[in-house]
Amino acid sequence: MNLENRKYVIIGFILLVGFIYTSRLFYMQVVDDTWVLRAQEIAEKRKEIIPPRGVMFDRKGRKIVSNKTYYNLMMTEEKITHLDTVAFAKLIGWTPIMVRERFKEIVKGEGIYYNKSSGKHTSNYQKMRAYPFLKELTLDEITKILVHIANFPGFKEEVTSMRTYPYANGANILGYLNEANREDIESEEINADHFYRPGSNIGRSGIERFYEKELRGRKGIRYVVTSAMNNAIESYANGKYDTVAKQAIPLKLGMDIVLQAYGEKLMKGKKGCIVAIEPSTGEIVTMVSSPSYDPNLLVGRRNISLNYPKLARDKDFPLFPRPLQAEYPPGSIFKLVQSLIGMQEGVVTENSGFACIKSMVGCHNHPNATCIAEAVQYSCNPYFYQLVRKVIQQKKKKNLYADAEYGLNKWHRYMNSFGLGKELDVDITGQKGGLIPDSKYYDKWYGHHQWAFSTIRSISIGQGEIKLTPLQMANIAVIIANKGWYYSPHFVKSIGKKGPKANFRKKHKTLVESRYFDAVIEGMRRVVNESGGTAKSARLEDIIVCGKTGTVQNPHGQDHSVFIAFAPRDNPKIAIAVFVENAGAGGAVAAPIVSLMIEKYLKGKVTKDKELKLNEVDKPNIIH
Amino acid sequence: MRKNDALLSQIDWPLFIAFISLLIFGMATVYSVAFNEEHPNIFSFSEKYGKQMLWLGVSLFLGLLIFLIDVDIYRKFAVPIYIFTLLLLVIVLFMPPINGARAWIGIGSMGIQPAEFAKISTALLLSKYISGLMIKHQTINTVLTAVGIIMAPAILVALQPDAGTLVVFSSFLFVMYREGMTFDPIILKLVNRIPGINLKSTWVGNHFIPLLFIVVVLAVLTLIIGEVEFSIGFLPGIIIKGGTGIIITLAFLFLLAFLYIRRFGTKRDRASLTFIIVFGFVFMTALSSSVSFVFSKLARHQKDRIEMVLGLKEDPNGKDYNRNRAMAAVGSGGTFGKGYKEASVSSVESNHVPESETDFIFCPFAEEWGFFGSVFLVFIYLFMLMRIVFIAERQRSSFNRIYAYCVAMILFYHFAINIGMNIGFVPVIGIPLPFFSYGGSSIMSFCIMMFLLLKLDSQRKDVLR
Repeated sequence: MNLENRKYVIIGFILLVGFIYTSRLFYMQVVDDTWVLRAQEIAEKRKEIIPPRGVMFDRKGRKIVSNKTYYNLMMTEEKITHLDTVAFAKLIGWTPIMVRERFKEIVKGEGIYYNKSSGKHTSNYQKMRAYPFLKELTLDEITKILVHIANFPGFKEEVTSMRTYPYANGANILGYLNEANREDIESEEINADHFYRPGSNIGRSGIERFYEKELRGRKGIRYVVTSAMNNAIESYANGKYDTVAKQAIPLKLGMDIVLQAYGEKLMKGKKGCIVAIEPSTGEIVTMVSSPSYDPNLLVGRRNISLNYPKLARDKDFPLFPRPLQAEYPPGSIFKLVQSLIGMQEGVVTENSGFACIKSMVGCHNHPNATCIAEAVQYSCNPYFYQLVRKVIQQKKKKNLYADAEYGLNKWHRYMNSFGLGKELDVDITGQKGGLIPDSKYYDKWYGHHQWAFSTIRSISIGQGEIKLTPLQMANIAVIIANKGWYYSPHFVKSIGKKGPKANFRKKHKTLVESRYFDAVIEGMRRVVNESGGTAKSARLEDIIVCGKTGTVQNPHGQDHSVFIAFAPRDNPKIAIAVFVENAGAGGAVAAPIVSLMIEKYLKGKVTKDKELKLNEVDKPNIIH
Repeated sequence: MRKNDALLSQIDWPLFIAFISLLIFGMATVYSVAFNEEHPNIFSFSEKYGKQMLWLGVSLFLGLLIFLIDVDIYRKFAVPIYIFTLLLLVIVLFMPPINGARAWIGIGSMGIQPAEFAKISTALLLSKYISGLMIKHQTINTVLTAVGIIMAPAILVALQPDAGTLVVFSSFLFVMYREGMTFDPIILKLVNRIPGINLKSTWVGNHFIPLLFIVVVLAVLTLIIGEVEFSIGFLPGIIIKGGTGIIITLAFLFLLAFLYIRRFGTKRDRASLTFIIVFGFVFMTALSSSVSFVFSKLARHQKDRIEMVLGLKEDPNGKDYNRNRAMAAVGSGGTFGKGYKEASVSSVESNHVPESETDFIFCPFAEEWGFFGSVFLVFIYLFMLMRIVFIAERQRSSFNRIYAYCVAMILFYHFAINIGMNIGFVPVIGIPLPFFSYGGSSIMSFCIMMFLLLKLDSQRKDVLR
């Protein structure tokens, strides 16, 4: 037996292992790239830096929505050693039981995510990760804790930023932020770019919601090499792939916060709204929804959970944005549009007169109107009854019912061109479109060819089925001030220096030619400035205010008081609608408010005695 | 003076260079992996690299001593040295456990692991014993004595417990194989009791150890990668199961062997060798298949148990964790590596791969230097092992030869198990990578082992027998 040959067996084994290992290394390092991904998963983490949200300025450059620094008390379970629950609870002002409960809540609730493979919601709570134990503490609160934090290893502070509203006005318009919920995060539409994670804020309503993308800014992403304890060790590839967090450019609103605040003050104790728009641009200068709330009440999770239920349960619905969502019959202000349509259709001229025949429809005592301007001035119900009948029943068809159908649809198209009966293209979500009936609508109610003008006559004076939002009412004032056109009303005057969104730079023309507007404007002037007008309380000394009152019959109680106006007559600077629920005639409450608002806006101050007068009329049971 | 000149000229330079370069690479990797910005100096003794430098210095000093001492001493004192280390291995069992094993004897603030040195003393005594034997006349007693020499320290090591070093002790079986010591006497004594059978020796008996090695390795490999799915980049969509992969590899290797025989084999051998090849292939394929078949038929808890031992399953000790992290580190190195000191997964600081400076030091090296670096390292080890076998075979003295084989096989086991562990072919049993891993005992013992070999080889011509 030649033992020396056995060396070949041994050499064979050595070479075999060498060969197998080389192939394996080739496979692992050159061919198979799953390990690279796995290593990235293990060692490289994206750290997201969330910039403070974009701020908002009002039309005069006052900062109305800003950010404030808050602190979270973060907890890392793994680093906690011998936690003295009693002492810790005392430090944060809790009971030990609350501390334990919160602890359980974090373990169960934080880090819940949707596991696609198992189809379940599971928590990926990890002991080595930091979770917020207390959220949104103020500097004072965190300072008190930080003094003793060294005694409680595993806890540390983290800086966050939250909204703050220096003026505390315009809550329903500005909206509020809330933590992105599971639906938001899992939504392919909302979270297509994976911006939101548990704990991210998202605009919930108002401008915050509509301009979410413009306001949230750009997240900073830092790729870091992390240790097994999840601590960042160094930046990955010297920060080659990092992006810097960038705060969004500020939004400049058309709102005048001082006027807004003044409007809110005037509406205090009343239900209703004020909408003021700059006619030449469509910028919404003021939008008061009353009752409202302090937007600071809905900042941060703590406040929201404390205050939201209260606000939601309030019987006066302060969270309800009335100017956008409340749909009211417009009452007599509707007569303005009716006269314009009548003239454009040629069924009347500006000099047409109709007798005030009270048997047709109720009216108050006034001389017969001999022209459009007078009809507007007196707000004569029978006049418009007869005018609108001519619009609806144009006798173009032999059949009375077919004629009404034809006329109504034509009328409906006019109304649409005034932005009525459809949603306006406003930069806010949750807007209602009101109701302007067309033939299909009545067919549904009465049956095809079962109705004529006499069936639907109450539409002529803005009652019946007609419904407008206060925003649409203000927009009517805008259209009349502009003599036939409007820009879609909008809140954001400019995004940075880029100006408003493109759709707010597009003029919408009504189907009524501008030459027909003068008569109506003259009527509106008389309403305020001539004896026999219904709103002399809106008169201003040196500014020609044009307006129209409305008293909306309310079967459930007191009539609603409406007034729309614009001023000055020549080169109008402001168009405004005021709607006060259950306040009686339009001239009584709404008109003085309008005049104060106009004065405040155009002059910066108001005549004191007028304000006092308003307080006098602000008593229950005022009857025209 | 004359003697010293001769000494330098008689050192085996290829081996020495391979040895020193491994030490340098190892040191560089320890420095990179444990790097601390606060103490960037490689001599900062508060850091691991500083300590490693210290131990390297001590090792080189010991090497110098070894070269100054007469070679005969090791043979003469093999028994006392062996007994001394056995004593240490007993003492160590009464020491307080560190990481669950009683492996350390503290000397001041530092400690040594007697198990590392036990390999050397066992190698010396085994060499002395076998070299004194007449191989042709081996009996049950001689076999048992040799096995006993191996078993005594192995059992003590197993008691620590230190599974890794225990496995390494089985490397001495290959030395016995090379020297023709077989288990035949024991087996034949049993077999020949059966009436009608009177065997002198068998082929299986003669090659029992390598066969056992193949069976064990193939079985373990089948269990580890049998169910893993491989996909090959340039053949998208084709997924090969590990078990199939093993059979394909076997077929490839045996085909190579067959072609080799057709080309170079003598006519006389060709038939029998071809038979061995065919038989070997069928045998190994059957073995691999039956292992996976048997495994698949096992009850769940038995499977769990096996998978846990092999580190395939998540277990409380985190073997699975180590293995996956280590593989991610090696795999992420790519073709050219991430660059020196750029290991992101396996740096000590990040701690994703535990023990990345000791048992898993191949990870940072492979991550930093990529495929070319790691294959280069594998080649240095292969070269070193082949060189030692070559050196062994040129010795006149059988003591020298057996010792050289001991060194070769110990290094081979360490190399194969350690790197196999890092690339997911071997269960996680903690043993260091020779000349590379951080650790005083392992560096010193491997250096002593290597210097002894170099010294013995340098004086091979002075020895008559």
